[in-house]
Amino acid sequence: MPAHTDHPAIKALRDLFEQQRPSATTEQALKGLRDAFLGRKSGHITEQLKRIATFPPEERRDFGAQVNALKAQIEAALDGLHDTLQAGQKPAGAVDVTLASREIPIGRIHPLMRVRQQVEDIFARMGYEILEGPEVEDDFHNFEALNMPPDHPARDMQDTLYLAAPIVGGTWGAHRGRLPKAQVRAATLLRTHTSAMQIRYMKTFPPPIRIIVPGRVYRRDNLDLSHTPMFQQFEGLVVGPHVTLADLKGTFEAMLRELFGDVKVRLRPSFFPYTEPSAEVDITCQACAGAGCGTCKHSGWLEILGSGMVHPAVFEAVGYDPEQVTGFAFGLGIERVAMLKYGVDDIRLFYENDLRFLEQFPL
Amino acid sequence: MKIQLSWLREFVDVGDPAEKIARTMSLRGFAVEGVEPLGTADAVLDFEVTANRPDCMSVVGMAREIATAYGLKMRVPPGLPLETSRASRQDPAHVRRGVRGAGSTASRDHRAVDPPTITIAIDDPGLCSRYVGLMADVTVGPSPSWMQARLQAAGIRPISNIVDVTNYVLLELGQPMHAFDFARLAGAQIRVRPARAGEAIRTLDGQTRTLSSDMLVIADGERPVAVAGVMGGADSEVSETTPTIVLESAYFDPLSVRRTSRKLGLKTEASMRFERGADPSMAALAMARAAALLEQIGAGRTRGAAIDRYPKRHKPGTLRLRRERIAGLLGAAVPDKDVRRILERLGFTPQPAAGGWRVAVPTRRVDVTREVDLIEEVARHYGFDRLPVTFPALTAAPAPPDPRITRARQLRQALTAAGFFEAVTFGFVAEAAAAPFAAAGQTVPIANPLSESFAVLRPSLLPGLVDAVAHNRRRQRADVRLFEIGARFTVSAGERRAVACACTGAAAPEHWSGASRPMDFFDLKGVVERVGEAFGLDIHTAPCDHAWLADGRRAAATADGAPVGVFGELAGSVADAHGLARGEPVYVAELDLDELERLSAGRAFRVEPLPRYPSVARDISILIADTLPAKEVRRTIREAAPPTLVRVAEFDRYQGKGIPADSVSLSLRLTFRSSDRTLTDAEVQTAMDAVMAALRDRHGAIQR
Repeated sequence: MPAHTDHPAIKALRDLFEQQRPSATTEQALKGLRDAFLGRKSGHITEQLKRIATFPPEERRDFGAQVNALKAQIEAALDGLHDTLQAGQKPAGAVDVTLASREIPIGRIHPLMRVRQQVEDIFARMGYEILEGPEVEDDFHNFEALNMPPDHPARDMQDTLYLAAPIVGGTWGAHRGRLPKAQVRAATLLRTHTSAMQIRYMKTFPPPIRIIVPGRVYRRDNLDLSHTPMFQQFEGLVVGPHVTLADLKGTFEAMLRELFGDVKVRLRPSFFPYTEPSAEVDITCQACAGAGCGTCKHSGWLEILGSGMVHPAVFEAVGYDPEQVTGFAFGLGIERVAMLKYGVDDIRLFYENDLRFLEQFPL
Repeated sequence: MKIQLSWLREFVDVGDPAEKIARTMSLRGFAVEGVEPLGTADAVLDFEVTANRPDCMSVVGMAREIATAYGLKMRVPPGLPLETSRASRQDPAHVRRGVRGAGSTASRDHRAVDPPTITIAIDDPGLCSRYVGLMADVTVGPSPSWMQARLQAAGIRPISNIVDVTNYVLLELGQPMHAFDFARLAGAQIRVRPARAGEAIRTLDGQTRTLSSDMLVIADGERPVAVAGVMGGADSEVSETTPTIVLESAYFDPLSVRRTSRKLGLKTEASMRFERGADPSMAALAMARAAALLEQIGAGRTRGAAIDRYPKRHKPGTLRLRRERIAGLLGAAVPDKDVRRILERLGFTPQPAAGGWRVAVPTRRVDVTREVDLIEEVARHYGFDRLPVTFPALTAAPAPPDPRITRARQLRQALTAAGFFEAVTFGFVAEAAAAPFAAAGQTVPIANPLSESFAVLRPSLLPGLVDAVAHNRRRQRADVRLFEIGARFTVSAGERRAVACACTGAAAPEHWSGASRPMDFFDLKGVVERVGEAFGLDIHTAPCDHAWLADGRRAAATADGAPVGVFGELAGSVADAHGLARGEPVYVAELDLDELERLSAGRAFRVEPLPRYPSVARDISILIADTLPAKEVRRTIREAAPPTLVRVAEFDRYQGKGIPADSVSLSLRLTFRSSDRTLTDAEVQTAMDAVMAALRDRHGAIQR
């Protein structure tokens, strides 16, 4: 481009653009500015372009070049303005990403079932069959076959709820291909433990046995901080030719460590009519890590389950030969595990079904 | 059982402080509930004695356990003719066997100047195999303070020197005793006999109790003077002026005492020991101890020798104990010397025999009747902590889990994904709460309910679930969705498993973008269908007439033609009864899991090939009577359309302006597709014409 001064009209137009340029702070104002200068019909530049033909031939070329140069400058400036504006302004359809989300409704598994599923999974991996049994039972399966004949003092340990009249109990074990013969017929009481299923199972299937039976059980306990008339438990049974108390120890250590993390496990002699020897199983206190606190009555230990070697009388009741097989059995309260694991100090919370409680548990 | 440490130390020289003893013994099978310090040097230990160990409901019993745990020898306090390690011993020499003088001729004290004596007879040796009686001339007064202190530490109230001596012996040796005022025994006789039906006795607690013929009593010549093994009678109670007493030390049948105690609702220190099993060998020993104590504290002197009626002798048992069996059960061999040491310290007598021992069992060990009981004794004192840690070997392929467990997990997944929280409610409910959900006479009452609110087994999960909804509503929760999986019970169907849902509030959570519509019947219907899907079943719906659901918004669900459950809006009356506010409808559903499981059994899922040709959708809007169920419309369409109709669904329903009264405008979308070609417009149109014609003919539908 020749290095001489601009035509006055071009200079005026340039000044006009520079003057109006700061006002283009919105997309709309920018569009106005663009139309004013570059509009096809009456834009300032367009008009100057139309004037080119009116210039004498010797000036025509120079003026034309100046107009086109200005046009290019203005276009570039407008594009620059547009980019700045775009950068500073929210795009079409933009949202305030900090506004509250639309909640996707999702419920929660009950904490007791959460624990139950976890325990089921642990035992399933150890090769246990998991099955359920009926909640109403007869005296034979709930007591007698478990070495608790009528008037046995140990029946006091489990104050029983009886039905006013017998009803038909639920079914179990259909998954084994056929409905076992040992179904519940006239049920007369609410089972006080799921051990009743161990009897049904042993009466139906030969050893070896490795089962775990989760479910609801009932005892005549009033509601308080640590008692409910209905609670959930697991009862397990392992029977084979060489099952030992040492195996029981190993099984619980594996299971309890998986459930509670790095805890110590100890066995304490105890008494249950259906096991001999019997043992309570303790873990190091969850609240104080074994140092001793109110939760563990300053012993550093918490009782977590009852267990023992299956009493020979139980084997005899189901037609097994106690000289040929041994076994261990155990019972684990699901509430107790959940209370220790999640720091729940009132068992009733599990049965109030208060959403403020239930929704605290993770998915 | 609360025992003073200093008392224990009379029997075993254990040096550890109380806390340490408590820890040691809790690992030997005797959990200690608490330790209370008593002064600076003494303490009271509260041992938890399991139901199988009545022999340890005594100082001597616990001392024997402590001695075994600590490897110490028992010692016998002076004046106590006690056996310590032998399984069985003859009675002390000065307790003369009464069998010689059986019948009416009682033993006599040569010193007395022909005073009246007591005669003792046992009618049924099966219920009372031993009865030791002893007369004493006494001066009733308070017992010495050391005796009172020991009783009080054990939680027993001192009464008088005579009663305190009997209680002292009870605590020390575990043998319940009783003292009668001799002058109040008509005919100077004691007869152990069954009660006569309707016979009454006023017991020491002041209550008059009517007895039945299955109860055993101690009677005099006329009437019962004690309920055997449970409680004495008030009429023969020792009073401040009693000059002569008869002491009783007996063995009563555990079952009989237990039944009597339960029937009378009377549990005493004596009954608790007898029903678990007293030691028949102890009856005479305890009597000797009581006699010695009476003299020692200056309460009186015995008159003559004790009369010991022992018609049915208990023989100590002998059990085989195999070395290999110990190892087989415990998973580790226990050295012979430990086996012997433990058993001997506990009072067993092991004699070497092939493969192990023959072990004589002392009569006090009522819990030891099999080899395995001996193994437990060995394991207990050898220490469970010394056993190795092993893992049971798998010798067979594990069976798959019960499908109902797998299914319950699927249901939990499906329902939590639908926004429902799992609830767990009790298996029993109040009768009134159950009533709407069961036909008359179908609820199952509990014979001994805890309270009215737990009176019957739930015939449905819904009363509990609706209560849980109400609980949350009262706590400002507007939107509540709950489900439960569990058993329900009726008289005729017995125990059946069910899944129930209850929900109220908005269909979707509140959001700033707009108001959510309230939940309605069709939200619930979707949930019910989702449950069906979890079983691979299509749920069909028809109106039903269950009174606990709101008229017009209630339905029965079927699958494969079989009823599987009901759902709808909870009837206002039921909602009221659960304390729910009117105008906030609660939608409930309950489906029978056993039935769903049965219907879905054996169904294998297979994928279908994806369609290769496009589908064609056509909409149709018709005007029909508003009483005509949509299901009928769909059925007519399906019947009229060719097999290429793959889907028909309502997408709009309108009543109001521009629609005649009692009519409704229903719009449906029909989707056609063929598996072997692309359908032509003409084909689809022909199908639509046929559909419209059928709707017109069958339902008088007008196309809009």
